[in-house]
Amino acid sequence: MVRRTEPPADGVPSLVDALCASFVTELGVSGASISVVSFRGTQSAVSSSDATAARAEAIQFAMGEGPHWEVLSTREPAICPDIDAEGETRWPFFIEQARALGIRACFAFPMLMGSALVGVADLYSTTPRAINDDFVDRAWHLAGRAASPSVQRAMHSAAHHASEESRRAPALRREVHQATGMILAQLGISATAAFARLQGHAFVSGRPIEEIARAVVLGQLSFVDMPDA
Amino acid sequence: MEGAQRETRISAAFVAVADTLTTDFDVVDLLHTLVRECVEILEMKAGGLMLADAAGDLQLMTSTSEAAAFVEVMQLDAASGPCIDCFTSGTAVSVSDFGEETSRWPEFSKFALAEGFHAALATPMKLRGRVIGTMNLFGGNPGEVSERDAAVAQALADVATIGILQERLVREGHLIEEQLHHALDSRIMIEQAKGVIAHSLSLSMDDAFGLLRKYARDANLTIRSVAKRVSDRDLSVEEIAKAAGHKTSH
Repeated sequence: MVRRTEPPADGVPSLVDALCASFVTELGVSGASISVVSFRGTQSAVSSSDATAARAEAIQFAMGEGPHWEVLSTREPAICPDIDAEGETRWPFFIEQARALGIRACFAFPMLMGSALVGVADLYSTTPRAINDDFVDRAWHLAGRAASPSVQRAMHSAAHHASEESRRAPALRREVHQATGMILAQLGISATAAFARLQGHAFVSGRPIEEIARAVVLGQLSFVDMPDA
Repeated sequence: MEGAQRETRISAAFVAVADTLTTDFDVVDLLHTLVRECVEILEMKAGGLMLADAAGDLQLMTSTSEAAAFVEVMQLDAASGPCIDCFTSGTAVSVSDFGEETSRWPEFSKFALAEGFHAALATPMKLRGRVIGTMNLFGGNPGEVSERDAAVAQALADVATIGILQERLVREGHLIEEQLHHALDSRIMIEQAKGVIAHSLSLSMDDAFGLLRKYARDANLTIRSVAKRVSDRDLSVEEIAKAAGHKTSH
């Protein structure tokens, strides 16, 4: 199930939209799409540079197949410089759909916030596109830079605070990251899963994530005996 | 701090910085060292270094205290305080007595005084004319920072700036903003690792950071790399505690 956040009504691009657009301008790809992993384990689309990017992402979400999913399981970039290349056997159903959209190359990069994998940036090109180390390094950086702002935007949308989203996205308070660490130690899970649990509890309890995080850090809230969200 | 002792400390600070400029360069450790050295040389009470993120907002990169209240003060400073004024103007901003500040930053002055800070100096970190962050020092007594001291603070801030750039040369071909983001993301990783260690050993976040730093230095690894292994669960907290000679019984 894909939830899409709407851009601000006055037409001025938000930080996340600008970060998404920067993939296109800086890497010379045809389009880009950013999504975050929600606490339910589902994907939540956050921004797309154009309709094709949005469609391609929606197709991956619906089919459970594609570079996006490879990134989620490997935490490494997924690179396909030419979908018609000899010997390309990955994601056959997705590639068929992508080709119909005019896509000829696709790439996906992990968005990491510290050790937590919080989302994926999906890129596409309408022509085959050979890439080099500079492309990969730059894409990694752009994806990393988009991580916190994208998470924040998705949290605001989920709490129906979309109208309050500012053009800037002050970073999450450090208690949020400390709490993530504490939860991962409490439950013996990954930072990715711990952050998802923290977000989940915030959503379910209707309290800001910073407030939950502070309670965790102060030892007032433990995730050990909590029922699974 | 006067005369020979002061000169020795200043030299030592630069040597400490030079030590970090190796191939296993640890920018987090460098920045931490610089702020700490500066606070001691200038006989201030506390200090913090802030870097601009992708949105252009100042984020706390490192500080002499990890105590929540101090971090809070720094964050306020980033919204409205000497630090943000320094950042936007690109020039040093000094406060000789928060008790006498009536028009500039009323809320921040109140919080600073509540934390026992009576004076402050915010020094810009500039790279090719662009302000990338600020180094902020807080004193326990009112008083104007001398020109000499302000010059030392600027010199150490300049070294911190070069240090960030130096890591760029080591990691090859990346832009300033990538270095800044990398430093700030390192901070996130460190916070996550602090949480793991604090919970596992029932330590304060401050002490958890101290243990992390000690382990990294003893093992000749960057703080970031150790933090990453802790948060990725590739390095057990028991291992860190043992290596650092920390009693784990709790």
